[in-house]
Amino acid sequence: MNAVEIRNLSKNFGQKQAVNGLNLTVPVGAIYGFIGENGSGKSTTEKIICGLIKPSGGTIKLYGKDYTDIDVRSKMGVLIESPGCFSNLSVWDNMQIQAANLSINNADEEIRRILKLVRMEGAASNKYKNCSLGMKQRIGIAMALLGKPNLLVLDEPLNGLDADGMRIMREVLVDLTKDGQCTILVSSHLLGELQKVATHYGIIRHGKMIKEMTSLELDKSCRTYIALKAKDMNNTVLTLKDKYSRVEEDEAGYVRIYDNVLPEDVVNYLYQHNILITEIKTDKISLEEYYIDLMNQKEVR
Amino acid sequence: MENTLNTFSKRVKSMIAVDFKRMFKSRLFYIMLGIAIIVPILVVVMTSMMDGTVTTDQYGNPVLDEFGNPVLMEGFKSAWECIGSTNESQAMGMDLTSMCNINLVYFGIAVFICLFVSEDFRSGYAKNLFTVRSKKNDYVISKIIVGFVTGALMLILFFIGSMIASAMMGLSFDLGSLTGANIFMCLLSKVLLMGVFSAIFVLISVCVKQKAWLGICLSLGGGMLLFMMIPMMTPLNAGVMNVFLCLAGGLMFSFGLGTISNLILNKISLV
Repeated sequence: MNAVEIRNLSKNFGQKQAVNGLNLTVPVGAIYGFIGENGSGKSTTEKIICGLIKPSGGTIKLYGKDYTDIDVRSKMGVLIESPGCFSNLSVWDNMQIQAANLSINNADEEIRRILKLVRMEGAASNKYKNCSLGMKQRIGIAMALLGKPNLLVLDEPLNGLDADGMRIMREVLVDLTKDGQCTILVSSHLLGELQKVATHYGIIRHGKMIKEMTSLELDKSCRTYIALKAKDMNNTVLTLKDKYSRVEEDEAGYVRIYDNVLPEDVVNYLYQHNILITEIKTDKISLEEYYIDLMNQKEVR
Repeated sequence: MENTLNTFSKRVKSMIAVDFKRMFKSRLFYIMLGIAIIVPILVVVMTSMMDGTVTTDQYGNPVLDEFGNPVLMEGFKSAWECIGSTNESQAMGMDLTSMCNINLVYFGIAVFICLFVSEDFRSGYAKNLFTVRSKKNDYVISKIIVGFVTGALMLILFFIGSMIASAMMGLSFDLGSLTGANIFMCLLSKVLLMGVFSAIFVLISVCVKQKAWLGICLSLGGGMLLFMMIPMMTPLNAGVMNVFLCLAGGLMFSFGLGTISNLILNKISLV
């Protein structure tokens, strides 16, 4: 069974089509990275799943049931745009309100557990309005985690988090799905961070799903390349471009060769041209690069 | 740690518990209660001090009636006039004592409900709420009840404030032809009539969502239209029939407008 199954979903805002025949499948226990540029329809799709916006067409099933089913919805956690807290109330009171909404027994115990999980136990008495952006984001995630949800929908959960905060969130997300009980649909522009945790990906553009794959499939799809550094980089690039068709310099100062070629061939070729290599390695392109490649291909089409 | 929200009654009960928790932690709630007790004191003190003084125009000249006599300001003659009147002309009058009485609470509750509901949408709390609770009628019922209870408390505090101020200013507590039961039923009618206003203001608030200013304007506008109905439905010499009519009106409006509010929430975008 799939946790989320969307078929032919569409949503129009007047003349504008925000979601256009979208199909999306999130298996149970997956961390599904939902990727797309700004205005591609990610947030709209997530809001539809959460029942906050009515779709114009299509079907949505959560755990095999219609997405409006009370039982399914009561086991969801959500963080969309903002944590949804009352600014004049303390973190603890906001958590209490959400716990009461979910009719959680032993609410105090549960809130303490969740606050500890997101390393916010010391800030429980702070007023929400006095919390920093990073703290607010953690509180939002804590609110979403209340009541051990089966399905978490997180829209840009890593926004505003520092490096340590991101690491903690990664650990929390992975930990939640470890026993296969929780499924997470997460959208983020921080593709590097997403790649560290996601087991499945969906790439959306102009309201349409253009690619859905597992992390293993992504790994296979990602091109390999040879990256090297040499004494005379300008000469190296020119020399390599004479022989290979896809040679680029990256931000870290490496020359990358994307052609299907063995490293020893490159070494021999440069040696013949009296170029001394100081470092050479083979690697795969990241999710971010794969995404940009995919977007560029679609743009050309 | 199990979530148990299966039945309608359990859902509504937990929603009401949440809203009451919010209400008691909200500064707005205490401000409204404070206003409810301070306003009658100010009104009674002010009108008593101005009682018998000549009304003047903008240039300081005395305003004369049709017979050429100066128009005198009139304060409350008895403590009970702060909460209602027995004759229709006084009830429908546009003078200070006809306007500045307990019925002002119905305007106060419009502001409270609009701000209370809009805060749900402005803070993003509505997203958390409606994701886990797909039944919107729980929300509407709870908001009407919170509005009703706050309104009832404001009415009681306004009454207490009026009595304190009347005692301070030495107004008469003589019931005349009225009885204690009349006063009680007058107050009870006003409390029950709060159901009508609470349902109207909740409907307006869910339509405008986070735009509290628009909700307040529409609610006060709507309240103006219905304001004249209040003294007629809840006179000082109210009887069982008044209580019954207000109860029936409160229930019918709450049910009818609550259903419309629910339909609207089911149709519109909640973000």
